[in-house]
Amino acid sequence: MNGSDQVRDDFRELIEAYALGALDPEERAAVAAHLATGCAECAAALGEAQWLVSQLAYLAPDSAPSGMLRGRLLKTVREEAAASKPSASAWPKSVIPAWMWGAVAAMLLFALYNAYELRVTTDTIRRTRAELEKQIQLQQESARKLAVARHEALILSDPKSVKIAMPAASKDLPVLQATWNPELGLVVSGQKLAAPGAKRALQLWLIPKAAGAKPLPSLTLRPDQDGQFDLLVASPPGQLSGTKALAITEEPEGGSPQPTTTPIWVGVVAGK
Amino acid sequence: MFLAVFTPSDSSKVSPDAALARRLLQRDGSAFEELYDRHSRLVYALVLRILQQAATAEEVVQDVFLQLWRNTTQYDVSRGSFVPWLLAMARNRALDQLRLKSERQRRREDQTDELPPVVTIPDFEGSLDEKRRAVRVRELMGSLNPQQQRAIELAYFEGLSHSEIAIALKEPLGTVKSWIRNGLLRLKEGLQRAS
Repeated sequence: MNGSDQVRDDFRELIEAYALGALDPEERAAVAAHLATGCAECAAALGEAQWLVSQLAYLAPDSAPSGMLRGRLLKTVREEAAASKPSASAWPKSVIPAWMWGAVAAMLLFALYNAYELRVTTDTIRRTRAELEKQIQLQQESARKLAVARHEALILSDPKSVKIAMPAASKDLPVLQATWNPELGLVVSGQKLAAPGAKRALQLWLIPKAAGAKPLPSLTLRPDQDGQFDLLVASPPGQLSGTKALAITEEPEGGSPQPTTTPIWVGVVAGK
Repeated sequence: MFLAVFTPSDSSKVSPDAALARRLLQRDGSAFEELYDRHSRLVYALVLRILQQAATAEEVVQDVFLQLWRNTTQYDVSRGSFVPWLLAMARNRALDQLRLKSERQRRREDQTDELPPVVTIPDFEGSLDEKRRAVRVRELMGSLNPQQQRAIELAYFEGLSHSEIAIALKEPLGTVKSWIRNGLLRLKEGLQRAS
């Protein structure tokens, strides 16, 4: 046995008394210093010695604390346990957590924003649709006018067409020009015309050659703001060959089945 | 102050007390109630034996269990047996109280502060239930001569040192040291045989 082993054994003999707390100050300090060196064997022995000392508690005569002590302790513990649950105490009356209120507010704002966006979008679509319809109408009108112009150009340029001058009964009024193609139809145009009265229109008539035949009603027209008009009658109510003259009267808006006024312009159809 | 932490010989086994102590960490009041009902009688008996006064003993027991409830982290569930740790805490508190009464605090204060942080539990620790353990400890102590018993009781229940015990019993210091050490070793051997 070397010196170190002897020292360790000396301390081992004191370990139980050290655990019991029975050593006098000098010995207690020496054991503590030895344990502080990290002696594993003595540390393990001390662990067992302290367990052994704890067994001496069973020597105490059996005795029970009062029920009041138990009641006081459990009351304190329950109160402290309840207080340690912050979610329950901080919001005792609310079953909805704060984050959920935030989510609801966010959803409401989102819904309001969507409603606003929907309204703006709907208005935009409505305006765009109206603009588009207007553009389509303009295009259709332009196409119609172009078609009429082409039709009129064909009539005016076709060698088979017959030109008909339509002088007015009054010398103050301009002479109208009519061109009739037996296959393409009839075109009547004029300039510097005064517009008829309110709810009145000018109406074209075909005067048949046949004796006793009544005038055949054709289309109505109104000069534009510049006093001009071009009237295309693609399907005249009578044949060029059977028509003696063209006449224009002033009639109620929408036309009449028979002339109600004296003709303002009359053009004799020359035979061809 | 209560640094005694016990290490079990088989850390893979978790005792019912250790499981309850873990629930204390989650502020489980029912676990505290169960631990109190399991051990308050033994703790109270120890403290009352030391203080010899019921009212003061109840105050100390109350302090011990509130300390357990409020500072559960002082007990390392994975490392030690619960009851020896609880008894060590109760004994220290009771002896502190006794010192205040008797003004014999100098040695005990130092002794308490120097408790080692780890206490190893022997292999046979868990094989006896509480009642059988109490009976066995008393039997073993009863087998010692009366002076030897008295020396150990003065050290454990009254916190006296070897020298103080020698004076109290009017016996040589060396004799007192031998009585106490031999008595504790016989107790240890007897508990080992009982397991």
